[in-house]
Amino acid sequence: MKIVKLKKTNLFLFLEIISKEADFWAPVKKSPDKHIFEVIEDFSKINLDYTRTILPPKKIMLPSDFNMFQASNTKYTPDFSHVSKKIIFGIHPCDIHALVIMDKFYSHEYNDPYYQKARDNTLILGHSCWPDEYCMCKSTHTHVVKEGYDLFFTDLEDTYVVWIGSSRGDDLIRLKPELFDEDLTDKDIQNFSQRREERDKAFTNDINFEAMPDLMELKYQNLLWDKLGEACLACGSCTNVCPTCNCYNVEDKPILGKNCSNISRCWDSCTLENYSGVAGGENFREKRSDRLKLFYTHKLQSYISKYGKPACVGCGRCVVTCPVDINVYTVSKSLDNEEVDTFWNRLSKEVTK
Amino acid sequence: MNKDKLKIGIYELTGCAGCALLITDCEMELIDIFNAADIQSFLMVKSDNIEGELDIALVEGSVTTENEIEELKDIRERAKVVVAFGLCASVGGIQARFGNKEWKENYQKIYGDMEMTHTKPVQSKPIDAYIDVDLYLPGCPVGKEQFLHFFTRVLKGAPPEKYPRPVCVTCKYNENDCLLNKGIPCLGPLTADGCGSICPNHNLPCTGCWGPAEGANPTSEYFLLKEKGFDIEAIKKRMSNYSGTKLAEFFEQFKKESK
Ligand code: SF4
Ligand code: SF4
Ligand code: SF4
Ligand code: SF4
Ligand code: SF4
Repeated sequence: MKIVKLKKTNLFLFLEIISKEADFWAPVKKSPDKHIFEVIEDFSKINLDYTRTILPPKKIMLPSDFNMFQASNTKYTPDFSHVSKKIIFGIHPCDIHALVIMDKFYSHEYNDPYYQKARDNTLILGHSCWPDEYCMCKSTHTHVVKEGYDLFFTDLEDTYVVWIGSSRGDDLIRLKPELFDEDLTDKDIQNFSQRREERDKAFTNDINFEAMPDLMELKYQNLLWDKLGEACLACGSCTNVCPTCNCYNVEDKPILGKNCSNISRCWDSCTLENYSGVAGGENFREKRSDRLKLFYTHKLQSYISKYGKPACVGCGRCVVTCPVDINVYTVSKSLDNEEVDTFWNRLSKEVTK
Repeated sequence: MNKDKLKIGIYELTGCAGCALLITDCEMELIDIFNAADIQSFLMVKSDNIEGELDIALVEGSVTTENEIEELKDIRERAKVVVAFGLCASVGGIQARFGNKEWKENYQKIYGDMEMTHTKPVQSKPIDAYIDVDLYLPGCPVGKEQFLHFFTRVLKGAPPEKYPRPVCVTCKYNENDCLLNKGIPCLGPLTADGCGSICPNHNLPCTGCWGPAEGANPTSEYFLLKEKGFDIEAIKKRMSNYSGTKLAEFFEQFKKESK
């Protein structure tokens, strides 16, 4: 792995050179305290002073709703219009880990060409971050990255230390090598290590993810799930904002006046009522609590047994999104027998009054 | 008329006629609509209407008079498939937000003892209060995209699968900063999806005009809004605006659950 230095004042120049033939995605402000990834042309819109975007970068690979192909009795025309050359700049370690999880998932047993093609055409330019009170990535060991990026920028006051993570990343640097300095001074290394240490200390959350698979198993019939089910609004927001949720639904959209259909695909959510509905009207998870069990089995248990790590990358999106406080933090803490002050706990007291 | 084409009737009971009007507003698709189906009856757009056997009847509006009950029953007898078209037909509409007692009082206030000669008024109800309904398409009015998708699928003999989801799903697709989390009383979680989350897209809370979403959890949202400091009466009013007769059910269940 090669490490180089870039003066901060040269960042926009570099971005301009590399983004000539690609859609350039970067975090921008959506509201006073919320950010989103957006395609931009004006680099001054980039806002790196963010923690997490509302939706994760999965939306850049697979849009929430897109066409997969058009079909008629005699013809099949695939539609890959969501695929284009893309650069994602400013993506944080948790989200890079999430992409690595997605990469595995979509190539493990079945290759998903819609994901693969989009991913192969996307360059990942990571950026360092600072945790807020909802970040849990240290507990999930996803606070630093070793793979999954092409370049990674660590912010050190007036310079960036840039890690080159792939040959494609190296090619980018070669477009304008004179902007980069290969000689890191002792001072640079010291600054880098110091930043890392300070950041490690800044995490306020600690979740015992190692214990979760067993606790999920032991507490599968626990009353906790009824409480959560009582409060869950079945709104689907938690799965939509989660960077590792990948379920989707496929729908036939016949075209009026033509003898063919668009076959479209949209993000699905296990918390929605008919998620486990099947032909004939049967529904295997009619209860909200059963559906939440599925979500948390995915995040805290089954992925660990299959891949050795949780499917949660600790980004904190579910924590800031769920209106009734059902999230990885409160659920894990409760599984671990800690009292948490949540709406769903208060509601359960209210309705049993 | 083409024998292969499905025979369709579009009817209006009590409502604002917005849903029927929506069909005429599909200007780019109108020719395709009339080419694809044999529109036998559609009072808003044509005069040579035939009232016979139908493959599909789209019924807009709620039932508010005895005449409408008869008309509706007649439609049911003639049509293979009846669709509740729009919010009023599906849940009773804004006009169904009162319970029977309140309705009687309101009626008395406005009409007094006036004698009705043409037909006798009844409390507003969704069409499934009187007949079996095969398919529902909510919305106030129904969305264009939603209607065209539904209509095309029905014409192909494959009505859309029932897949209940609330406004929040599309709202998240649109990456809106959640209003409910900022303490604004948004009814997105309780409301059927289909409008494209148009209100939250403009930073306005959903007031529920697509009607109650199946599988929604009104009890939780009710207590959530209460905890956020909203007045109980104000919450009830807000939640009942577009939920028609389905609200009565909710408050019944809610009484039981909160005991
Ligand atoms: S969860 Fe970790 S990696 Fe993600 S933004 Fe927070 S500190 Fe950064
Ligand atoms: S479960 Fe929550 S914290 Fe974990 S990755 Fe998903 S949204 Fe982020
Ligand atoms: S857990 Fe929260 S965010 Fe997820 S569906 Fe339930 S209420 Fe919505
Ligand atoms: S703003 Fe309203 S519709 Fe959108 S996610 Fe929040 S509660 Fe749901
Ligand atoms: S009130 Fe709700 S359902 Fe109606 S248009 Fe607005 S967001 Fe959509």
